Amino acid sequence: MSRRRMRAVVALAGALTLTAGLAACGDGDEGGGGGGKTLNVLIGANTQYPQEFRAWQASISDKFKAQTGASVKFEEFATANDELTKIQTSVVSGTGPDVYAVGTTLTPTAYSTGAFVKLDDERWQKAGGRDRFVPATLGISGPDEQNQVGIPFVSRPFVMVYNTELLKAAGISKPATTWDELRQHAKQLTKGDQHGLAVAYKDNFDPWKFVWGMSVQAGNPLVDGRTARIQDPVVKQAYQTYFGWLTTDKVVDPAAIGWTNAQAIAAFAEGKTGYMALTSTTAAKALDGGKVKGKWSFALLPTVPPGATARPANGVEAASILSGDNLLVADYSKNQDLAFQFVKLITEQDAQLDYYKAVGSLPANAAALTSLQSDQKLVPVAQAAQKSVATPFTGAWADIQLAMTNVVVQSIPDLAKGSVGDAQLDGRLADAQKAAQSALDRAK
Amino acid sequence: MTDDSTATGRRRRGVSARQRPLWLLAPGGVLMTLIIVIPLLLALYISLIDLDQYTLRRWLDAPFIGLSNFTEAFGSGLPHSIWISVSFAVIATAATVPFGIAAAVATQNAYRGRALVRAVFLIPYVLPSFVVATVWRTMLQPDGIVNTVLAKAGVAGGLWLSGPKSYWTLVLVEIWAAWPFIYLMALAGLQSVDHEVYEASAIDGADWWPKLTRVVLPYLRGPVLLACLLATLNHINNFTLPYVLFGAPAPDDVNVMPMIVYVTSFQGLRFGLSAAMAIVSLLLVAIPLFAYLRALRLDVHEDGDRT
Repeated sequence: MSRRRMRAVVALAGALTLTAGLAACGDGDEGGGGGGKTLNVLIGANTQYPQEFRAWQASISDKFKAQTGASVKFEEFATANDELTKIQTSVVSGTGPDVYAVGTTLTPTAYSTGAFVKLDDERWQKAGGRDRFVPATLGISGPDEQNQVGIPFVSRPFVMVYNTELLKAAGISKPATTWDELRQHAKQLTKGDQHGLAVAYKDNFDPWKFVWGMSVQAGNPLVDGRTARIQDPVVKQAYQTYFGWLTTDKVVDPAAIGWTNAQAIAAFAEGKTGYMALTSTTAAKALDGGKVKGKWSFALLPTVPPGATARPANGVEAASILSGDNLLVADYSKNQDLAFQFVKLITEQDAQLDYYKAVGSLPANAAALTSLQSDQKLVPVAQAAQKSVATPFTGAWADIQLAMTNVVVQSIPDLAKGSVGDAQLDGRLADAQKAAQSALDRAK
Repeated sequence: MTDDSTATGRRRRGVSARQRPLWLLAPGGVLMTLIIVIPLLLALYISLIDLDQYTLRRWLDAPFIGLSNFTEAFGSGLPHSIWISVSFAVIATAATVPFGIAAAVATQNAYRGRALVRAVFLIPYVLPSFVVATVWRTMLQPDGIVNTVLAKAGVAGGLWLSGPKSYWTLVLVEIWAAWPFIYLMALAGLQSVDHEVYEASAIDGADWWPKLTRVVLPYLRGPVLLACLLATLNHINNFTLPYVLFGAPAPDDVNVMPMIVYVTSFQGLRFGLSAAMAIVSLLLVAIPLFAYLRALRLDVHEDGDRT
């Protein structure tokens, strides 16, 4: 008996030692002791310009050290999912990065965890004030002005890119401003092995952005309070337009049913496509590396819904989803003051321009964005940033965009056959509506 | 348990059952508790609570909802996913066995270049799953190399990565990537065949076919059965391959269990629901494992039979 008890004691002691050891490791991570504190910042890795990104990190760290005496440690994540996992573990354990750079569509999800500092006037002042930002970029900082958590860092608005030579050859003087006009142009541009439009039907994110844009322009924001409005004629028309480019208008390369966004860009860069309908400034490098070098230009996405020549009264002039990164300060952070100083530093005009020069992400700082407009190529992008509209601010949004993308994913075999039947589309929209509504019902 | 009298009887020869220094197992036990038991219990607990992004921060206070997550899982896509996963795993295993055994037999006898052949056979197995999936995804694009070649032969390839055919794509790629595992296990089994057995059958004048079916294959039964079990479990649990091949959300035809758990957990952020799905999947995987352990009695220790 006593032997057994001894065993138990030994086992328990072993367990305690191990746990204590692990806990000690955890404590070590937090660091920050001594004179100079360390601020931990989680930010998305930049695979396109890794060296420039590191150089920017080093220079901003130096500046921050000179200003505050504290150093900055950057931690990078590869994908939005990595970031979400990091947020989850940090939220549960109450330790982790002090500042997060979070993508706009992920901001409502991050907000719904309740683990980030809400910005009152005093905190906004510490961060440099609301006024320094492009007003549209504040659209997804929080559910309302009293409950904002996100401070805009960069904009990545979506735009179209078009082939200037092909459009000129087809006698088109300026890019389309309505979806119907875009279809018309694409038809004019399609001949032989040349296609009017490049669309990434197999992308995991592109499809919902099209449908959301067309729906909002037609007056349906998809989420109305706590009701999902996906089973709606306007949404159906958006899907039909999106599918129709391939099935009825035949202005898209049939191979596009297998394309992700990067593949669609690559196809456009071959120089045999008139428009590529959804991209951002980060594609510039890929475009300049292709046959379209010197022959492409950005343009605003159409802002008049399909089947109309003017926006209806309740339609919104949404040129792009509000896209980019917000900075969030963790409420478990013991360095909140430092965190806000850091946020202030990297959202200042000069720092934002430096960041743009390093990696090509557009400033959220209004003065910095204005100063960039001397570059003709960027004018439409800057406009898109100003005309960006936030997706609905609800923790359910991740599920909703997933459900909307799923409609396209499941329709691809039909697309390949040449038509997406009315009944099938209705069925898939009903599934999406159900998924979206159940996500909204669970929202707290 | 052996009783005390036999324990005393054995004392002279070594340590008794009671005296075995079981405490030496403590580090292993602690590690197992920390790494396996606690997370498992935690998963079980999470499957019973309503844990999502709203309750994550105070997850200990998340409402206890009993079996609701399980009922919701079965009401949603889980049964479909179970069917896809299980059928896919069984087909993939069944198809890899003949390849694996044939390759093992072919490389059993020494000949010039055998080492090279063996190395080549292992290539699919040593390539990271991510690389395999990326390469196949590129080849199977609607205008990819596979369809181009098929078109030259007058066959319309069609869609490999969406729709009903995606299921067979998954099976095909899994077979391509997983057969060397069966090959390895079969090869190991062949090595254990005594040389005398070959000699004896040769003396008896056995031809190659009876030699293969009556002598060699019976030796392979054990290792290959074990390989089948492990391979099936690996197929069921394979996440990287479908995820990289098809992306998320996956086409309905390849919405395997790891995919649905992943999407529920990391895109829908419903940790409670996904934990329930994971538990169901764990139970499912445990069935063949249990049947196998019972059948082969791998848990028998050297002292003899245990009940």
